[in-house]
Amino acid sequence: MKNDAVRQIYYYTALILLACISLAPIWVMIATSLKDEVTVQGATPLWFFFVPTLENYQTILFGRGKFDTYLMNSIIVAVSATFLTLSLGGFCAYALARNRFAGRHFLANATLLVRMVPPAVLAVPAFAFVTLSGIDNDLAALTFLYTAISLPFAIWLLFGFYKQIPIELEEAAVVDGATPLQVFFRVLMPLMTSGYAVAGIFTFRIAWNEFILALLLTGRNTRTLPVAAAGFLTEEGVEWGRIMAMGTLIVIPPLLFTFFAAKQIIAGMTAGAVKG
Amino acid sequence: MTATTAGETTLGKKPRIEPGLLSPYMFITPAVLIMVGGLLYPVVMAFYLSFYDWEIGRELQDAPFVSFDHFVRMINDPQVWEVLWVTLRFGFWVITIEMTLGIALALLLEKPIRGASVFRTIFILPLMVSPVVVGLIWRYLFDARIGWINYYLGAWFGIEPLVWLGDPQLAFFAIVFTDIWQWTPFIFIIIIAGLQALPSEVIEASDIDGANWWQQILLVKLPMIRSIIIIALLMRLIDVFRGLEVMLIMTGGGPGRSTELLSLHIYNRAFETQQLGYASAISVLLIVVVFGLSLAILNMANPMKTRSDV
Amino acid sequence: MKSLLKNGLLAAAGMALVASTGSAVASPYKPYEGTTLVVSWPSNAHFNAAQPLVEQFTEETGIEVEVDYLQYLKLRDRQLLEMSKPTGEYDVVAWVVMWKGEYVNKGLLTPLSEMYTNAGLVDPDYDINDVADAYLQNGGVVGGERGYLPGKSGGLYGIPFGAETSILAYRKDIFEEQGIEVPTTYDELRAAMETLHAAGIPALTSRGATGHQVTAAWLFHLAPLGGRVFDEKWNPVVNSPESVEAAAFLRDVVRTGPVGIPAFGFGDAVTAFLQGDAAIYLDSLKIAAMSRDPSRSKIDGKVGFALHPEGTRCGSETGGFALGIPDNSKNKEAAFLFIQYMTSKAGDQKMVDLGGDPVRISTLQNNADRFPEYSVVADQLPCADPDWRPLIPEWNELNVDVLGQALTRVITTDDPIQPIMDDANEKIRAIMEREGYYVWN
Repeated sequence: MKNDAVRQIYYYTALILLACISLAPIWVMIATSLKDEVTVQGATPLWFFFVPTLENYQTILFGRGKFDTYLMNSIIVAVSATFLTLSLGGFCAYALARNRFAGRHFLANATLLVRMVPPAVLAVPAFAFVTLSGIDNDLAALTFLYTAISLPFAIWLLFGFYKQIPIELEEAAVVDGATPLQVFFRVLMPLMTSGYAVAGIFTFRIAWNEFILALLLTGRNTRTLPVAAAGFLTEEGVEWGRIMAMGTLIVIPPLLFTFFAAKQIIAGMTAGAVKG
Repeated sequence: MTATTAGETTLGKKPRIEPGLLSPYMFITPAVLIMVGGLLYPVVMAFYLSFYDWEIGRELQDAPFVSFDHFVRMINDPQVWEVLWVTLRFGFWVITIEMTLGIALALLLEKPIRGASVFRTIFILPLMVSPVVVGLIWRYLFDARIGWINYYLGAWFGIEPLVWLGDPQLAFFAIVFTDIWQWTPFIFIIIIAGLQALPSEVIEASDIDGANWWQQILLVKLPMIRSIIIIALLMRLIDVFRGLEVMLIMTGGGPGRSTELLSLHIYNRAFETQQLGYASAISVLLIVVVFGLSLAILNMANPMKTRSDV
Repeated sequence: MKSLLKNGLLAAAGMALVASTGSAVASPYKPYEGTTLVVSWPSNAHFNAAQPLVEQFTEETGIEVEVDYLQYLKLRDRQLLEMSKPTGEYDVVAWVVMWKGEYVNKGLLTPLSEMYTNAGLVDPDYDINDVADAYLQNGGVVGGERGYLPGKSGGLYGIPFGAETSILAYRKDIFEEQGIEVPTTYDELRAAMETLHAAGIPALTSRGATGHQVTAAWLFHLAPLGGRVFDEKWNPVVNSPESVEAAAFLRDVVRTGPVGIPAFGFGDAVTAFLQGDAAIYLDSLKIAAMSRDPSRSKIDGKVGFALHPEGTRCGSETGGFALGIPDNSKNKEAAFLFIQYMTSKAGDQKMVDLGGDPVRISTLQNNADRFPEYSVVADQLPCADPDWRPLIPEWNELNVDVLGQALTRVITTDDPIQPIMDDANEKIRAIMEREGYYVWN
């Protein structure tokens, strides 16, 4: 009994320590974003006790950089890529899970292979494409690429979720006279919310965080937030306060997702490796 | 759930429905088209571009055809081998440490305890942070002058300020450390999910057989999650070949090429020295490597294959 | 709301200016009223300071200007991409002098002769001879000797704006305390570094990050110590005794300087000086304005300026930016008017008032009493070396891939320098061979 209590203490100490290691760098970013440049340049790290200022946020939000435009760009790209991925990927996963048709295995394997294509490989061809076609400064190209990058994983994930739904449900609905589309939307969708939430979060995360392709494919009116943040690393000095403020703003949506949907995120992360 | 009850009334009474022949293709075509256009086409394009000496600011049609010159140059290019070596070393260290830490923590903290979900939420936070932001945060922490790491090393251990990002060994250590911070939770989460999915009968049986804690881990638990461990390992290895943003922000690949991973090298070749054609040739190398690793994963775990063949 | 108020104030200021000069009313700008120019330039102190002048230009001329500020390293990719499209976004681009050869070689810029032959555009009071010759030749003239040096075959493609040379800045208080004279030669500089180092004070701050940063740091010492990157026949000579000496000097700088130089970009090097972590600075003249900026400088009032020390000769940096017009711009005339306005005598003076750096000799002279560094800069300019670095398209690869790597080895290891530079020399020769520089030999 006493032994158990001691072990509990060990457990929690270890957990709290690990939690601190996970959180500390993120907190450093938030704290730094609330300091003025003089405090940032000071010799002593200040974790909590400093005079907070919103100066950095003010500069970013209302300064010369078009933060509102960049924010809108990020939102548009992330939301439309997520929407496209979920709808098209959902259809595809459904068809793969429910039908036997020629080329199915090939498609399943190919989907998994293209999932691994490195962004660095996409960079030069994407750059070539925009140079040749003149389509740049256009969020569509970026949205398209993010959708393509996210689709394989989304299909893989949703496939697993569809497989868990007994086919009898659909059969019954068809017997009751439902069309395939009705079956999809009325019968399957309600059971798939959790699966779509996972796939959605992962797609959004990719589109929201991605940097290299966005750097290459966006112009002065189409920059996304990560590109704008890296822009603060200027030649004449790194304005840490502002950079960290930008970083904090970028991190907010993914952090919110984590707090509200940690379970789904973990499900998504383990889906690839752990069966069942 | 109302749909469920409605369905159950006729459950199993009718034969399976054969949908129209065309409809599955209609369902998959849009997604396939996007993947072909957004992933397959660029890969093919990378092959194509590797035969041309194309640079930024010139028309592609004016770029001279150089046949296999770029590949010959690549094979003889010590820089490519150097970054490949850096990438493999980086992969070795981060994967070894992350696997060890991740598995150890998962085994230690496997028991369901109160507050587990709170801790897990906190542990996955680093995974959700944008790579650019991760690079920015750690560049600040490792800064030689105002970095907090130097401060605490000095205050607690009396160590003179170190030039973390300006010394080949230290910079390498810094990017390894950053990667460990971000990705150990990933291994941890996967392994713990695998452990918790183990059938409890087996564990109980080994308890009854008198296996001690160590025996249980080494002889029962780890072998049973072997495939999960290998998949996690391969996924991380692929990530190592894919990653570049954190290093781009933290060091740009320097000093020298001590932190220049293969992906970052391609990026630097293409956009720092503007040799788009040559960079494409190196991309082909990267594609081959990642393709091989992916095939390995595919052999081990393809949910679509195993589940749909029932 | 705030910007509305600001605009209002500016409009008032602009109107006052129009009224006072009078001539601007019979406006050469009239035909281009309502045009929107898109300007691509870097996000740095000088160009950031230019924003009010840009707004004033709009108020006075009715030509709208949208500035796309970009990180310096991102600038070239973006500009090349835009300028190689059939229709680009940019009407005015600011390039670093290193890129001029590449831009012109690829046919991306408008020769300014097209504009100077149009009397309706050229301001008779502009006085181009007043623009510092070193700046104009280095940033704006392309196609002279060896393609980038002054020469009869050269043509004008741009006007310097945000151009610079190197000067020495030092901490007057520390020098006095340590009894150090301001160094005028490299020997004296070396001695001063050792004295400071012995006293436990970090001596000379410097760039040092792998790639173009560390190469720039070396170039600062190469020219005064008598070295070059190429001889007249494009043979690389980075393993000459002078070049090796410059590399050895850089190693000393790192040894005696502030902690962290091998990771320093320009900004870090500057910050180290401004935060009081280094006693000497030897780099771009931009330091002067920055040292007076209270938000980033702790040493305002303690800084002295002097000429770049001489080695076997005097030779300071030529660098910075110039403004020009892309060949695919649809608004070339208005773009020219904009460039002319920004670099006119009034514009140059206004840039000084805003905290930027002037390009005109008259501006330097007129403000010599206000800013102690101006007379130093005016004396320094005759020494500005047009062949400070080879401004050829291949420079980028040599700079980042070869020298940037070799010099990192120099400053982060104790390996003998000569073999490192021999190796770099061979690599440079191979690249030049590949690019066809030796076909006439």
